[in-house]
Amino acid sequence: MTDSESYMYNQNEIKVDENEISLDNCPCITGIEELDQKLGGGLPSGNTVLLVGSSGSGKTTLSMQFLTNGAKNGERGVFFTITEPLFKLTKNLERFDFYDKKMIESGMVNLIDLRIISERLGLDAEKYTVEDASALLEILKDIADELDVKRLVIDSVTALCYRLQTKEMIRDFIFKLGSSLASMNCTTILTSEVPPNELKYSHYGIEEFIADGIIFLGDVDRKGDLIRTLQVIKMRGTYHSRTKSAMSISSKNGIELTPLLKSRV
Amino acid sequence: MGNTLIDGLKERVSQAITINKSVGVILPSSNYSDMLQALFEHMSSRNDHFWVYVAIAKPYENIVKQFDYASQMTNIRFIDCVSRAAGLTNKDPNCIYIESPSYLEKIIVEIMNIFKEVGDQLQKTLVIDSLTSLLIYNDDALVTEFFTHLINRTRLKDIHTFSLAIEEEMDDYINKILYLRSNKIIKLRESFI
Repeated sequence: MTDSESYMYNQNEIKVDENEISLDNCPCITGIEELDQKLGGGLPSGNTVLLVGSSGSGKTTLSMQFLTNGAKNGERGVFFTITEPLFKLTKNLERFDFYDKKMIESGMVNLIDLRIISERLGLDAEKYTVEDASALLEILKDIADELDVKRLVIDSVTALCYRLQTKEMIRDFIFKLGSSLASMNCTTILTSEVPPNELKYSHYGIEEFIADGIIFLGDVDRKGDLIRTLQVIKMRGTYHSRTKSAMSISSKNGIELTPLLKSRV
Repeated sequence: MGNTLIDGLKERVSQAITINKSVGVILPSSNYSDMLQALFEHMSSRNDHFWVYVAIAKPYENIVKQFDYASQMTNIRFIDCVSRAAGLTNKDPNCIYIESPSYLEKIIVEIMNIFKEVGDQLQKTLVIDSLTSLLIYNDDALVTEFFTHLINRTRLKDIHTFSLAIEEEMDDYINKILYLRSNKIIKLRESFI
């Protein structure tokens, strides 16, 4: 069996009791108007979406806008970070009008540092064993269940996998993660870090196989200036646009999309 | 003599903007300042309009230095596309600064965002100063695409456009698209003086 074959997604590895899941058919509105339009209303409820991009592409901002919009509509959310401390995260968020501190205080948006949880579980912060990863997954699921969240973000799945030592462990963990997420009654964004200017959706080449959807955040170079772009690559359960949009981020409106001008790009 | 020229230009601007959805103005660079004066005098006299002025030919600060009353007008917002690219870091609440004139999509987003907040009782008018200045920073085909998108979107939202083009900077692309997308072309000649 070749490497790529060994990484192929096996549908049977994810076992979901469909009777336990009661997701409504309403799309999960991200609050980014143009993105919701592209998706025919929003992310399909219950989907796991891989949000791919290089550093500074807007993954965290988009994820937080998704969570805060949910909170505004009464949907509780949780943001698991493993890449940056919470104080840094909230400091960055404060410049956005969509961010309201009260959402955090009221528990409608929960920010959780997975490194602190690892520490409390007595795990090695840099290296996870298979058991460590499983324990972390259990905790993650318990928190999501206990808080009864409808929206969940893991930022980032790449950094989480980085702590696993072998390809086999990463593969095993990702499929377990997929299985856990599929059994939860919530819509999930997994952020995935990739090097700039590379058309790949994940660092380990396997994360995309547990995702129902992929949104790619990239850059276009225009005479030396970088223009942020967003493209929906796939989204199960929707007839979505696959056109590339120019993406801008402002403190007033958060993320905004407009059709990318394509002449001689 | 000078007043006659400005009055004449004001008359042409006023008529064209009132009647037509999209007006293209092709003018020699020697008449650029006269056109700006006529345009600003017209804008300041029309409180029933809301104006978005996209400054590409020169920075916002230069414009308000020349027409100081413009900074006091409550029915005009500026989008400055060149100050940041020139390394100028000044700020003004009446102006949105775009990092680079090559961020054409961002210019469209900001224009539409400003007009979104304007009530329907005011006639919304967009001034592009100037379309040909964008050619300094962008390929002609890209500017053509930008202008096409912009006109399509402004028409949908009932926004009038007034686009300046400097004759000496014109190329075939811009000439063609200006004629194609404008309901009315005003062509100024030095002989007009």
